[in-house]
Amino acid sequence: MDAKAFAALLTRWAQVMEDNKEELIRLDGLCGDSDLGLTMSAGFAAAAAEANASEEPDIGKLSYLAGKAMASAVPSTMGTLMASGLMNAGKALRGRRELDARGQADFFQSFYDGVRARGKAEPGDKTFLDGLKPALESMEKALAQEQHLSPTAQDAARAAQQGYEATRGMLAKHGRMAIRGEASREYLDPGAAVAALLVGAWANQVTGG
Amino acid sequence: MKKIINTPERFIPEMLEGIYAAHPQELAHAGEDLHCLVNARKHAGKVGLATGGGSGHLPLFLGYVGDGMLDGCAIGDVFQSPSPEQMLAVTRAIDQGAGVLYIYGNYNGDIFNFDMAAEMADFEHDIRVESVVAGEDVASPAAQPGEPNRRRGVAGIFFVYKCAGAAAAAGLPLDEVKRVAEKACANVRTLGVALSSCTVPKVGRPSFEIADDEMEIGMGIHGEPGIRRGKLLSADEIVDEMAAPVLDDLPLKADDEVAVLINGLGGTPLEELYVMYRRLAHILQQRGIRVYHSYVGEYATSMEMAGASISLMRVDKELKGYLDAKADTPFFKQFGQ
Repeated sequence: MDAKAFAALLTRWAQVMEDNKEELIRLDGLCGDSDLGLTMSAGFAAAAAEANASEEPDIGKLSYLAGKAMASAVPSTMGTLMASGLMNAGKALRGRRELDARGQADFFQSFYDGVRARGKAEPGDKTFLDGLKPALESMEKALAQEQHLSPTAQDAARAAQQGYEATRGMLAKHGRMAIRGEASREYLDPGAAVAALLVGAWANQVTGG
Repeated sequence: MKKIINTPERFIPEMLEGIYAAHPQELAHAGEDLHCLVNARKHAGKVGLATGGGSGHLPLFLGYVGDGMLDGCAIGDVFQSPSPEQMLAVTRAIDQGAGVLYIYGNYNGDIFNFDMAAEMADFEHDIRVESVVAGEDVASPAAQPGEPNRRRGVAGIFFVYKCAGAAAAAGLPLDEVKRVAEKACANVRTLGVALSSCTVPKVGRPSFEIADDEMEIGMGIHGEPGIRRGKLLSADEIVDEMAAPVLDDLPLKADDEVAVLINGLGGTPLEELYVMYRRLAHILQQRGIRVYHSYVGEYATSMEMAGASISLMRVDKELKGYLDAKADTPFFKQFGQ
């Protein structure tokens, strides 16, 4: 993956958020203020616009700039968390013009670390992290077995989807859903839904879908 | 709800245009963005104090930018956090080499954005930034030991601005100004009551339902759930119910001295606030708690919400000195002693 392909991934992410806007609004509206669909589609659109307008060949710098654009466009809780993911990945990958399978796994890991550090959440708290973490574990397993990138990405997408579905049953510890206490267990987490969409769209790009 | 606006989309930009037009000597914006408000009068070498948050709470937050108080404020849309870029622009404009202290209310969106702005200030511009997050609403649950503060930030942040602002104006270094701000935070408690809802212009309908004959003790300034909803009581009964949790939380005891703030939420007349003050003064006197300084009026509102909050800050010699200091902003003035 070079900088052009990275910008194309951001474009895919903007598109998948747009395509799933109504579903995210619905999920978020059950407990939150139902603006998640709007902030995710507008936020990734801003990130994609920034990356596509840039000639920057450094993927790290490009990710950092895209994150900043997103933070300015949608300074809501989830907007800032996703921006933090892009910016932290940008710092971790600074100087890289090409990402192989290992590099792409590192991108998602540093994205995860950035979101976790900003949100001060832990896996199991029923957040975005619970969608992305199973995908990271799946990627590490595939890399250890020297699996090709396409099946690696497809496995990761499945793992993210399962992680998202497993948020039903978890007790929410952050945000408006946490106000529901034990009743929060019956809901799916909209943040984890975003994680599943991101990994799924990446897998589609990798497999040429 | 009737509102005097042109369009919901232009509500905040037009409010800001009006504020800059009314106070050209005192307020300026950093760069082109009206949402990045700074004190037009610079004071060389002092620690910069910045705040920020959503609109809809005037005079909070931008109203406390001025001499003896804050140096800058990043302004968001109604009840929406401003962006890290806007906070960074304010930070760069007010830094005079002595570093910058962020003081803001305990809300996730604001925390994430101020943290990101602080990292960008350090990473991109070598500006040292420290943060104090104010959260003193006793209606929200207290943190377990070892946990970060979970309480919402409401009107009591005024006291934090006042004390930290005076400390910075006196020339204290960043770590000392931060200590004063934290000390003020640790000694202030607030509880509110709501009688009617606010309406966010872009939403166009009330944020929550509450019957004409109802009140909710402990409701937050964005309509967050309170402690108890029930029939509207008399002023004395309301103050009795509100004062007890505030007094017991610190706790305050006989011979303590306090600063008092009775704050209107936007739709309650000053007359009613003084009826509340009368009862509160009586309660404090009965408990042997002395009132050092009182503030009554609108300090942190929630659009047109009817209701009020009671804040008490326990004061010692140091905090009293900072409370007494001169302050001069377009929205808040106090003669120094």
